[in-house]
Amino acid sequence: MPIIPGMRGGRLVRTVRLVSGLILMAFVLCHLSNLALGLRSLAEMEAWRAALTRPWTTGAGEWLLATAATIHLSLGLYALAARRSLTLSATDAAQLTLGLATPPLLIAHVIALATANRVSPGFADNYGQILAVYWSFAPAYAFLQLFVVVVVWLHGAIGLYSWLVLQPVWRRISGFVLPVLFALPILALLGFASAGQEVLDKLANDAAWRQMILDNVGRIAKVTRELAGLQRDLLLGYGVLVALALAIFGARVLLGRQRGVGVAYDGGHQARGRYGLSILEISQLNDVPHAHVCSGRGRCGTCRVRVDAGAAMLTPVGDLERSTLERVGAAAGERLACQAHVLGDGVAVTRLLPAFADATAAQSPHDWQAGSAAKEPA
Amino acid sequence: MSEQSMAVWSAGLLAGAKARFAALGADLAQAPQEAQQALQSVHDSLMTGSGVRSGTYIAILLLVGVAVEWLYWMYAYSPLRAVMAFPASSPREALRIGLRRLAFGASGLLLFTAATIGASAAFAWPPHVHGVVIAATLLLLMLRLSWIGVAVVLAPGRARLRLVPVEQAQARWLAAACLAALALLALGRFVPPVIADGIERAEHFAGALRLAAYTIAALVLFIGAFAFFGRSRPRTLSGRTPLFPRSFPLAMLVIGVYGIWLMHDRGAAVAAIAAVVIALQLGLRPIVYHYWDDDDAGALPAIVLSLARFVVALAGIGAAAIALDTPLATLAENVGPWVRVGLRLLGVAVLALLAHGIWIAVRSVVDQRLARIGPVDPHEPPDSSSRLLTLLPLLRVTTAVLLLVLLVLSSLWALGIEITPLLAGAGVLGIALGFGAQALVRDIIAGIFYLADDAFRVGEYIEGAGNTKGNVERITLRSVALRHHNGPLHFVPYGALGSVRNTSRDWVIDKFNLPLPIEVESEKIRKLIKQVGEDMKEDAAIGPLMLEPLKGKLYRIDPGVKIFRCKFRSPPGKQFDVRANALKRIEAALRKMGVQFADGRQTVLLQSSTG
Repeated sequence: MPIIPGMRGGRLVRTVRLVSGLILMAFVLCHLSNLALGLRSLAEMEAWRAALTRPWTTGAGEWLLATAATIHLSLGLYALAARRSLTLSATDAAQLTLGLATPPLLIAHVIALATANRVSPGFADNYGQILAVYWSFAPAYAFLQLFVVVVVWLHGAIGLYSWLVLQPVWRRISGFVLPVLFALPILALLGFASAGQEVLDKLANDAAWRQMILDNVGRIAKVTRELAGLQRDLLLGYGVLVALALAIFGARVLLGRQRGVGVAYDGGHQARGRYGLSILEISQLNDVPHAHVCSGRGRCGTCRVRVDAGAAMLTPVGDLERSTLERVGAAAGERLACQAHVLGDGVAVTRLLPAFADATAAQSPHDWQAGSAAKEPA
Repeated sequence: MSEQSMAVWSAGLLAGAKARFAALGADLAQAPQEAQQALQSVHDSLMTGSGVRSGTYIAILLLVGVAVEWLYWMYAYSPLRAVMAFPASSPREALRIGLRRLAFGASGLLLFTAATIGASAAFAWPPHVHGVVIAATLLLLMLRLSWIGVAVVLAPGRARLRLVPVEQAQARWLAAACLAALALLALGRFVPPVIADGIERAEHFAGALRLAAYTIAALVLFIGAFAFFGRSRPRTLSGRTPLFPRSFPLAMLVIGVYGIWLMHDRGAAVAAIAAVVIALQLGLRPIVYHYWDDDDAGALPAIVLSLARFVVALAGIGAAAIALDTPLATLAENVGPWVRVGLRLLGVAVLALLAHGIWIAVRSVVDQRLARIGPVDPHEPPDSSSRLLTLLPLLRVTTAVLLLVLLVLSSLWALGIEITPLLAGAGVLGIALGFGAQALVRDIIAGIFYLADDAFRVGEYIEGAGNTKGNVERITLRSVALRHHNGPLHFVPYGALGSVRNTSRDWVIDKFNLPLPIEVESEKIRKLIKQVGEDMKEDAAIGPLMLEPLKGKLYRIDPGVKIFRCKFRSPPGKQFDVRANALKRIEAALRKMGVQFADGRQTVLLQSSTG
């Protein structure tokens, strides 16, 4: 059988992706805070680098960061390959696109800093140097960096928010987390602008410093060819991987296309979809109102349904689904619509939460039990 | 306007078109070179410190806008989902949901735009960049607004929420075509000015870009008109006459607007607005009746339709005024004679639409109320609805006359014809007529006060001065028609009506006498009458007509006769039936008791004196 329904991953995969994402996000936060210090001065930035950025670029920190990035990227591609339809919410679509766009945008920056001092000994990778390159010698890279800040921050913020908002603790920390989440990249960019101006002034006024920068730039220029080759190879490899993931996704869609399955809902809705789609995906494809706060990640439990008929035509309950069902206190015979994939006709379900259920339904599932009878708003 | 000036004007127009064609040709010829130069200079200016600074600021603006909109959606997303999950069972409900979706989406977009443009004011931009940023934000606003509008109106993938009758298979393609056309129009509108004002002043490149964007948009719309409106409409009845395909006029409108744009830049905006207004006016009736096709809606669709027509026309005129960048008042002074005439006719059309709207609204409300009250039954007691029955037709006629007079006068004024002498002339004539029409005026004024006092309503029996009496049959502005109970119809001018005695209000008291022989026992008779009164109260037919029961008492004693007076209260007009019934019952009861009515014969005792 070419399709393995439910291969989007069990609990372990989710946890690993979440943890790797959190590690990356922690790094981004540190890096952006360091940049934000540029609002005070270049020296301040440089002074705090040891505490904020350096641990991530040396020793265990570097290893952790690289591993997390690799795992997160691989799991992202895996999730893309494991998709069965393109029914995405707007935030999910943004998340996917931004995530795919990140590696090609970031690769120049990473290669330059991670390998430059290895390839070219004596290269000083301090902020003054990098900012001088960005603001004066090769502004094209600066635009790349600006773009990547927006892209990475949006990707990370969406991921962090959609995980945090489901936690009961969110109500208490949202007032603190949200402002930080919104303010930090803005402050970082302001710091970038302010420090950049400082560097430009210094280049114009401080001849010795200028000479030092020029020497360094000359050293990089010697290895540019090598670095460009490395970058091209990495990009090519990434492109192949993305194409592969897309090809697997396309093949699954095409293969599943040949067999259609039907689902009957409460309220007289009838929906049809391809073999192997989850109940939630079939709802979304057919415009059946269906709550899904976490967009089918199996976290929130708002999409849960009572299976009235055809339980044998659904994929069995996995560990992720079981734990979520337990957490929200689901009764026997209830499933998560995003995790139950339809393998044949004759499935009939009742949606248990109204379509407008929001994150509070995941934070405190028991408050929403009573409201589940009122299916549609009056 | 003389023929000569028209000829001059047309020649000028043609010359202008020729010049414009030449300019467009020059734009196309010089565009590639200019584009290259412009791109090079943009690249050069970007690859400097100030370029990077601009880029940083733009990224910050983007983040600010996204953050603000994110906050908005944190609160708005659940309500929006609730709105969209509402099971819309009728097109009208879908319309309500659509309007709410529009409000949700537009609010978020507005916040994004306001935050971005507001934050952009905080930065010190290098020259030329701020204008570009604002233009880009506006372009983004238009693109997203088009997206929201198309998503709300066509709702591809959500047949329940679709606002226009389009099939599911077509909705997606129609949405794509609309979006493409709107995006191209926005592109042609917002991008070229930025290029033309930029560092290089690449005006030819801007012109060529505009030409390309508008040409492709016109093509998309032209093809779309045939692809989506070309099919013959479904014929539910086999005998229906074939309808003119909508695709043809739509395509003609597109071509017309594009042609005007080719010849005259400014005129095209107005022409495009006019085209949209015409298309909407043509399509409004089916659209409005798509939402109000059920019967119980009554007059609502008519009101909505005329209101919508009016709003569309007004919005079109407003948009045209904005597009021309000129207030209409100063516009009329310095444009060609045709435009001036056209503007004036437009003003008259707006006035007519307004008057028509008010008239439709008043008429349909009046007709609806009248239909609900139903025809008046002269044998039933008049109730409060008869007052409406009296006033509503009067209101309808008065409104019609008033609207017509106002419309004629203001149309004349809008056409530039002085109406002051007309009014003054009417004043002189009015004085002359006034002496003759003194009585008429008196009648009308008196009539207004009779109606305000609620002195009589249709169906009531009244008596006026000069022995005029009868049922009110008709009330006009000047007189009231009274049907005498013997048949003749009196037409009484209000001025001659005098004091009115209305016998149809609330209740009447009826009294009648019973002459009985002098021998009867008064108390017994009183009780008998009371008993009859109670029996009548019990009776199903006559009981409800007795507002106060029948009572009788000894009233007078004449020689040989005791006269009992009986009294009861009943609704107006019913006293005759009740009295007949009471007399019948009393007669029967008296006979049973063995008492006869006084026979009227007087016993005269003669004493003969014989001695």
